[in-house]
Amino acid sequence: MRLEKCWFCSSTIYPGHGIQFVRNDAKIFRFCRSKCHKNFKMKRNPRKVKWTKAYRRLHGKDMTQDSTFEFERKRNRPQRYDRINTEKVLQAIPKISKVKATRQKDHITKRLSVGRVNRRTEDRRELEQSISLVKAPSVLKEDATLTLPKQKVTVSYAQTENTPMEE
Amino acid sequence: MLNVADNSGARKLMCIRIIGASNQRYAQIGNVIVAVIKEAVPNMSLEKSEVIRAVVVRTRKELKREDGMIIKYDDNAAVIIDQKGNPKGSRIFGAITEELRKFRFTKILSLAPDVL
Repeated sequence: MRLEKCWFCSSTIYPGHGIQFVRNDAKIFRFCRSKCHKNFKMKRNPRKVKWTKAYRRLHGKDMTQDSTFEFERKRNRPQRYDRINTEKVLQAIPKISKVKATRQKDHITKRLSVGRVNRRTEDRRELEQSISLVKAPSVLKEDATLTLPKQKVTVSYAQTENTPMEE
Repeated sequence: MLNVADNSGARKLMCIRIIGASNQRYAQIGNVIVAVIKEAVPNMSLEKSEVIRAVVVRTRKELKREDGMIIKYDDNAAVIIDQKGNPKGSRIFGAITEELRKFRFTKILSLAPDVL
């Protein structure tokens, strides 16, 4: 039994799922579901179809190079059963996949953090420019309490230790 | 019209009948069929409009296995055999499935370049 990768979307194909298509030059195309198979029949290029892993890797949306990828490699020769080795591998697999998952998540968070900063500066600029839609500028000038200025207050840690936590 | 997957001299076959099945309409991979040669390579042992036996090795219709694997080929092809089941040609072209082993076509499997 071997877990294959879908040719179109690169997801794993478990046994009993999907269709294998053998072309006349004996190249085998494996598909995880009919969605991928139908896209293939339409002659779509997976590198141009946005939801596939090929597109995401090509356009830098997902992590491409990392040391955790090197643990998983395709071997065509069956390995002799070694009990100690097998035990070690079975213990290592969840650790490696956890590290891989956190690194992939961080890659995406890092990629999206630029947008978060941009959105924040945009919002701040919009607030400064369009505050007149909420309150007339002359009113804001007269009464200073309407716009609460930020005040920095230093907290002494000795005080906070004695206060009980709120339920 | 089936393609011929070996170098016996024929190029295209037309299936006339399925051997061993009285009312079966469609031949599957591993079925022996009676076929007539519709197109042949000139100057070889087999000629056009000759009636011969062949075993189907590739179909466009999916082949379903017990483990859930489904295999589909790009064309329909057969290998010409004699009455005993030995292939007439000396080379086989294209990928062959393991299903033929069940039907005892071991010679074809050994000649095949790729066995799935």
